[in-house]
Amino acid sequence: MTHRIEIDFEPAEGQVVRLIGLVERRGYELLGVNFQPAAVGGKGRLDLSVRPRPGPRRMETLKAQISRVYGVLSVRELTAEPLRESA
Amino acid sequence: MQPAAQTSSDASQHAAFKTGAQLVVEALEREGVTDVFGYPGGAIMPVYDALTGSSLNHILVRHEQGAALAADAWARITGRPGVCMATSGPGATNLVTGLANAFMDCVPMVAITGQVASPLMGTDAFQEIDTFGITLPVVKHSWLVRDAADIPHIFAEAFRVAASGRPGPVLIDLPKDVTQASIHTPGVIACRTETPAVFPLDAQGLARAGQLITAARRPVLYFGGGIALSRAEDALRRFFQRTRIPAVATLKGLGAIPTDWPGFLGMLGMHGTRAANTAVNDSDLLICVGARFDDRATGKLDTFAPGARVIHIDGDAAEISKLRAVEVGLAGDIGAILDALHPIMGDISAWQKTCADNAVRWAFRYDAPGSGVYAPGLLNAMAKAAGDNLIVTCDVGQHQMWVAQHCRFTRPQAHLTSAGLGTMGFGIPAGIGAALAEPDATVVTVSGDGSIMMNIQELATIRRYRIPLKILLLDNSQLGMVRQWQELFYQENFSEVDLYDNPDFAEIARAFGIEAFTLEHRAGEAEAIERLLTTRGPVLCHVRIDPRENVWPLVPPGKSNSEMMEA
Repeated sequence: MTHRIEIDFEPAEGQVVRLIGLVERRGYELLGVNFQPAAVGGKGRLDLSVRPRPGPRRMETLKAQISRVYGVLSVRELTAEPLRESA
Repeated sequence: MQPAAQTSSDASQHAAFKTGAQLVVEALEREGVTDVFGYPGGAIMPVYDALTGSSLNHILVRHEQGAALAADAWARITGRPGVCMATSGPGATNLVTGLANAFMDCVPMVAITGQVASPLMGTDAFQEIDTFGITLPVVKHSWLVRDAADIPHIFAEAFRVAASGRPGPVLIDLPKDVTQASIHTPGVIACRTETPAVFPLDAQGLARAGQLITAARRPVLYFGGGIALSRAEDALRRFFQRTRIPAVATLKGLGAIPTDWPGFLGMLGMHGTRAANTAVNDSDLLICVGARFDDRATGKLDTFAPGARVIHIDGDAAEISKLRAVEVGLAGDIGAILDALHPIMGDISAWQKTCADNAVRWAFRYDAPGSGVYAPGLLNAMAKAAGDNLIVTCDVGQHQMWVAQHCRFTRPQAHLTSAGLGTMGFGIPAGIGAALAEPDATVVTVSGDGSIMMNIQELATIRRYRIPLKILLLDNSQLGMVRQWQELFYQENFSEVDLYDNPDFAEIARAFGIEAFTLEHRAGEAEAIERLLTTRGPVLCHVRIDPRENVWPLVPPGKSNSEMMEA
């Protein structure tokens, strides 16, 4: 199962690396990253496609872990798609 | 910002101009910091220059890891962020273990590091390392300061972030040109402050929790380090006293309910008591408060409390259902939640009696054969003799588990242990931090012959500041816990655990100017305990114990808590 997470955050030095690192350390494989840098005074947006590695992993837990990171404004799960295996 | 390298003494003559370093010191003073643990070096020198003449009490350690671990313990005692400081490069990397320790155990800490000047960053300059990057996984947040004018605001934020929500360490990296820069500071510098969020109580969740408790016939209260973090021990005790639900603690929870109170069954988990693990295993409702279903507590997770529904109360919403699905999750102020829970109790008298009987039946015994020192008995007697004023700081290994099993604790701050990271070398620096944070306490560091060598240089710090730390060193000339596992799970293939060539630890202590003596026989225990506890100033008691002594009970790794091994 792949998941898409959209994270809005206050732009700050190292914040993109911090967020991506957190997702990987919590046991999720990164399948895609789309970063929209903030306009002046605006918010940054990170759109991640992730897949959980084996283990007791819940998206609700990951979202809560992301949401407690300093400077994160919101975390949303956009879609939950079944992983399509090639024939 | 001006690039001029004006010194603190120059700047003090021009009140309107201050260096970045002066702003750092002022920010620490504004936060009410009293003690700073650190070690100077090239990139942090401007801050050390500004320290002189400040109100801050700087404790010069002999290794940066000691600074971080001392600050950690200071924070656990006071409830306020501990502060440690180091220079760039190796100074910063030496802090990392201490930061990770604080991160794993949710201890508020502000770490300050020097950095090479901004133009040199990225050029492989002398003592340049990416401190910001290296520490990302082990801090709650971090700042690389680019402009001295940001210092007041960043420090205010750093202290707020470290202490709020789920506490943890934060790091502020200060390039040297930033701390040297002289900036115009017109009047008071406004710092952004935010009121801590107050979470409303979940009335529906509380009601559901109350229903589950009413319906339960075999409930167990399972609590952890979150109690001490949120200073909720009074609320926990009130809840325990009005419900009389049998209780068990994690390693970090010990002391939140006094360990000698009836109904408290001891620590659960890998080296927990049989009474505690049996109660959890047989329970029909687990009320988890400020704990996180850590693997050392649960053993094989899918067999943990197999027949229990779960109510989980925690300060961190991310912990709810992280490892164990719950019927009711209540995130927020733990004390307020517990005080709002007034369930009508069902009849649990038979269950209470079963648990009480088990506690008596499986109580630890101290009548070990032979005449050698029996470490569990020694620790039990020492804690009783020290009384309620005791603070124990532990290192990591067999002695750590013996302390948890056999010492009496009446408050959570009395037991400082590296629970999450399991940092050998925690004990002595933590003892320093604890003794400075609570000078009237009797602070005893219980260490092992493996662990003590990890930070033995801090004996010099103890001597320098005449810190009255009591060190109880249990020496089995082995890496005892590793040896125990090799004996039990690796077919007695003892690999690299024999410390037969240990130095004479009493002589080492004396070389540092610390009184020391050796205990070799059980007959001398009472005298040794008295000398340890009554000696004015620091003292080390070197205790020789049987290298074959193991920690019991033990749940083998990967096994269920119901599969406990005994001696």
